[in-house]
Amino acid sequence: MNGSFLLTLIWAVPFLTALISLPVDRDDHRRIKKISLAGNLINLLLVIGLTFAFISAEAEHPAAAGAKLSQFHFTGKTVWLQMLNIEYNIGVDAISVLMMLLTAIVIFCGVLASWNVEKQAKEFFVLLNVLVAGVYGVFISLDLFTFFVFYEIAVLPMYLLIGLWGTGRKEYSAMKLTLMLVAGSAFIFAGILGLYFESGVNSFDIQKLAQATFPTEFQYWAFPIIFLGFGVLGAIFPFHTWSPDGHASAPTAVSMLHAGVLMKLGGYGCLRVGMYLLPEGANMWMSFFLVLVTINVLYGAFGAIKQTDLKYITAYSSVSHCGMVLFGFTALTFAGIKGGVLQMISHGLMTALFFCLIGMIYGRTHTRTVSEMGGLMKVMPFLSVAYVIVGLAGLGLPGLSGFVAEANVFVGAFANPAPLYRFCTVLAVLSIVVTAVYVLRAVNGLVNGPISDHYKTLTDASLIEKIPVTILLFCLFAMGILPGWIVELVNGAVHPIYNNLMR
Amino acid sequence: MKLLLPDILLVLLAALIMGYDLYRGKVNLTSTAPFHFAWLGLCAIFVVLLRLPYDQTVLYPGGYLVSGTSLLFKQVFVLSALFTVLLSGSYFTPGGNKRGTLRHRSEFLTIILLCTFGMFTVVSATDLLTLFIGIELSAIPLYILSGFYKEDALSLEASTKYMMMGAISTALMLFGMSFLYGAAGSVTFEALAKFCAANPDEPLLRLGVLFVLAAIGFKLTVFPFHMWAPDVYDGAPTPVTAFISVSSKAVAVAFLLALLYGPLAALHSQLQPVILILAAATMTVGNLGALKQERLRRFMAYSSIAQAGYIIMAFSGAADLARSSIIFYLFVYAASNYAIFFILAAIGRDGDEQRSGLQGLGKNNPVLAAVLMLTAFSLAGIPPLAGFMGKFFLFAAAAKQGYYAMVVFAALNSTVSLYYYLLLVKEAYIIEPETERKPLALDGVQFISLVLLTAAMLLAGILPSISGGILAVAG
Repeated sequence: MNGSFLLTLIWAVPFLTALISLPVDRDDHRRIKKISLAGNLINLLLVIGLTFAFISAEAEHPAAAGAKLSQFHFTGKTVWLQMLNIEYNIGVDAISVLMMLLTAIVIFCGVLASWNVEKQAKEFFVLLNVLVAGVYGVFISLDLFTFFVFYEIAVLPMYLLIGLWGTGRKEYSAMKLTLMLVAGSAFIFAGILGLYFESGVNSFDIQKLAQATFPTEFQYWAFPIIFLGFGVLGAIFPFHTWSPDGHASAPTAVSMLHAGVLMKLGGYGCLRVGMYLLPEGANMWMSFFLVLVTINVLYGAFGAIKQTDLKYITAYSSVSHCGMVLFGFTALTFAGIKGGVLQMISHGLMTALFFCLIGMIYGRTHTRTVSEMGGLMKVMPFLSVAYVIVGLAGLGLPGLSGFVAEANVFVGAFANPAPLYRFCTVLAVLSIVVTAVYVLRAVNGLVNGPISDHYKTLTDASLIEKIPVTILLFCLFAMGILPGWIVELVNGAVHPIYNNLMR
Repeated sequence: MKLLLPDILLVLLAALIMGYDLYRGKVNLTSTAPFHFAWLGLCAIFVVLLRLPYDQTVLYPGGYLVSGTSLLFKQVFVLSALFTVLLSGSYFTPGGNKRGTLRHRSEFLTIILLCTFGMFTVVSATDLLTLFIGIELSAIPLYILSGFYKEDALSLEASTKYMMMGAISTALMLFGMSFLYGAAGSVTFEALAKFCAANPDEPLLRLGVLFVLAAIGFKLTVFPFHMWAPDVYDGAPTPVTAFISVSSKAVAVAFLLALLYGPLAALHSQLQPVILILAAATMTVGNLGALKQERLRRFMAYSSIAQAGYIIMAFSGAADLARSSIIFYLFVYAASNYAIFFILAAIGRDGDEQRSGLQGLGKNNPVLAAVLMLTAFSLAGIPPLAGFMGKFFLFAAAAKQGYYAMVVFAALNSTVSLYYYLLLVKEAYIIEPETERKPLALDGVQFISLVLLTAAMLLAGILPSISGGILAVAG
């Protein structure tokens, strides 16, 4: 199959899935869920196929060691709008492929985890699939305009998904999340227009723009607005406030997808658009952003200690862990950027599993407050064990995915000799201790201790709930024990970005 | 002569409808025949317009110009008139609207058509006098139309207020034009352009431009001349509100395009800072004003003030990009606005045209709710809808001049607007109505119109190249 066609197919499948479920009878929930599951299963297989094809393509055409230009495979382009040279221009490098793989796994598990959605199931799955189509679209776009269009498609359905199917202060959270993210897009939008008009190449093509030299004063103002614009979605301090409310209010699958994948769009954009296209600006501004993301890492961790609601704990830990993604990027070392990318994948899997488990536990206990639970190990051993494992992944236990990523991030950051970097790295490493505190406290409160009477009749996970948990656990272990092939792939993609930054 | 066919047909159509009414006498006030004449005629004129060549510029004796740009504007005007006619259908039907039934359908239609002819004159003018006559021809009918609920105090108030404001604007415009004439010694665009190019620093010119801009600011609801809009939009019958919000704004835009990139082109660089300040103030005032509005017509007034702000921003751009982006945006804006007003007409049958009237729409009529959501997103400028493409071009026009700070400001403004457009979506989907709502059914005309408008919003957003005409001709 033609590579670029495969890429188009990958975002078209969820979109078609959404279209196909439109004419289905509103009350036939099972059929709607089955269509959605089938669509995303097909897509999972397509993405796995893409990953293998990509590995062999990479083996056939290895990138030159000193290359400053990212090497994309399966490229293809069609003119979309002549007037401003807007193209539908697609292609993938290792980072995009791995992020697509993550997306496919998380959404597949997400559909299974939302098997119990009964309220307006049709609208729920239609919106979910549209959102996923947008996410895939972002990862394959090599044209900034197309990129932006998909980016917005991925952000907007969130409003209804949280507002309609959420819990707690859902309307407030949904509005806050949407407006903050769209305000971020406003900056990105101006930045993209700037890139177009200042480059002199009159194109939105990322590869062409990477070769253009931008005036220093342009980079000086454009880099921070682009980095911050994407950073909002990556929950950069002080624009992280949408994240705890949003994730806590969202329904299970949406939390999984949002924390697992959507927040990574922010990091991906920072890397692909901000740092890759504006290297000079990155060098000028990075120590400023380093301070911000160090606050992120620490503040998220300390914030999580204070929380009593499981979802809030996980949401704050996401702020901390997503901070680590950007922390790796701001380190401006090879290992740091690599670590950031690995952390995107690791955190995606981990937080998806966290939210998945919390959703299932909440479905049984009808509370998310840690102090009201206890002894769940006795009645739901499967879910409890899974929760313990993912907790350990969260605090970076070797053998699980978190360790691989965090080790790279911190080693990379420490490798930058500037005193400020050393200082911030030491501070950020401390967050691991804090993480251990909140993770272990939550685990302890949840699974140990006496069980209250009204929980004694609760049941363990059903088969359909065990599938997503097992898949995600498997991925956590796989990445922790055999990180070699992923690291190899990421190396190939990070080299050109790093070389470009150091030119 | 071929190029004048639309103008001629339009006048004949107006005469036909007026004549039909006279011929039939008073016997049949409820007859729907004029309605059918009007929409069929307008469709025919639109088809004629589409078939005319864009690449010819012909100057008819007496200074009547037909060019690609003017043909595109005529398309906007004809489409706008067509949808107003279609929208007015349920307002003339007894029981079609809770606020009351409009009467005298033929008069209504004739006035709409004659007003549209006035707009045709504006885009064909080559001298200040024709321009002025065109603007007046298009303005005076609107004063009558806004008072078309003849027993409704709000409607009459709207009409009076609109007329007063319009009179002031007319006075200012004539005053300004007299300065321009005094400076250049002629009213033709040609002579004016020559004079401006030779003496760009002439104080008389600046004074004249200032007054003319202020006058057109009324029509375009530019801050600080926007105050009348909420009251007039709210008081006028909904079809008239829709017509004012689209056609009247489009004609003001045409007027500005004709002047700023025509005779006053030499002053453009001096005017850019003024344009940017006005744009920033207008969009901010519109967006902040819309936040608290419960009454949807008022809400649309503020929303369209904000939209005018984005359009004005593009006037800071270079001629080609500004012209094509602004005309493209007018089409997009017209489609989105009419979609909202058709939804208003649908909920206005049994309920109030208020935001709370939308409650339960998601369950009551999922298709209409989906259209509302798409329209709201289009107005807010969310891809892949037409509104996004339109805004993208407008912003690009400003960005090309290096006004990035303005682009950021406008984009943030558009985030604020997303808030209140999302309130509509929230009302339709999330909030449960307190009392059970009657099932909401669309009549055939409303259904077909909404399908057409939604298709236009999606197509112009996803495949903007199909409107290649607009983007290429004007550019």
